[in-house]
Amino acid sequence: MSAAGTPGLPGAAERAAPGPVRHKGGAGGVRGWLDPRGRTIGGRSFALHRLTGVALVAYLYVHLGVLSLLLVGESAWSDFLGVVTSKGFLLFDVVLLFAVLFHGLNGIRVALVGSGYAVRHERALLWAVVAIGAPALAYGALHILGGL
Amino acid sequence: MAVARPPERSAAPRPRRGGRSGRAWRWTAGSGLALVVLAAVHLVAQHFVVDETGGMRTYQQVLDYLANPVILAVEGGLLVAVTIHAMLGVRGILLDLDPGPRARRRIDVGLSVLGVATVAYGLVLLVTLAIRA
Repeated sequence: MSAAGTPGLPGAAERAAPGPVRHKGGAGGVRGWLDPRGRTIGGRSFALHRLTGVALVAYLYVHLGVLSLLLVGESAWSDFLGVVTSKGFLLFDVVLLFAVLFHGLNGIRVALVGSGYAVRHERALLWAVVAIGAPALAYGALHILGGL
Repeated sequence: MAVARPPERSAAPRPRRGGRSGRAWRWTAGSGLALVVLAAVHLVAQHFVVDETGGMRTYQQVLDYLANPVILAVEGGLLVAVTIHAMLGVRGILLDLDPGPRARRRIDVGLSVLGVATVAYGLVLLVTLAIRA
């Protein structure tokens, strides 16, 4: 992977500057992810894939911490359930479900394209991610929030 | 009498297919594909089976769930797969910041230690809860 802004390479100063992405390979580290200007839909899905990934890593450790309440005993777990079954937390569950669905489905797309399969169908695969993910999210959200 | 000397070994390392980054990518993709199945099972079991609010299991329901050895194996597999995937994902993000060689080694060592500790703690938690059932 080429490093953005490596001194001595042609165009290094341009690539190191934040702003619209003119060349693939990044622009200014993490700030470059959040700059949608000049990006294709694939670039934006890359940024969202990484953001959901980071969020899910954080959730992994929160989840392990929460599950540790089971070691404390039934009353601690019951108190916890009383908090997380409130509407606010159930909405957070829906956001989490979105992160899981997007990261998972987009990850399948990235694995296929990265392995050389369906490279020409990247845009169609993105639409497939939306077509599968949106109904799954809607169903999951209704179930979690108690509508089903 | 001249002694035949063995040919000198090339100083350049023998190229590996894909190299380290290729191996990391394959493990990331492989663990991700495993996660698609394992996480789906986990999500359905934890949110769509029990009739409680949000599908959340009570304390005894969690213990009864983990008492099944097949479920225990699935949850253990999920823990291992998600930890591998998470650590490799974080590694990919950190390497995109173009760290130097020393920092790269620290990243690799740090994430390896974190990953092993995560799996170890999670497995201890799972087994302890399964025993309590």
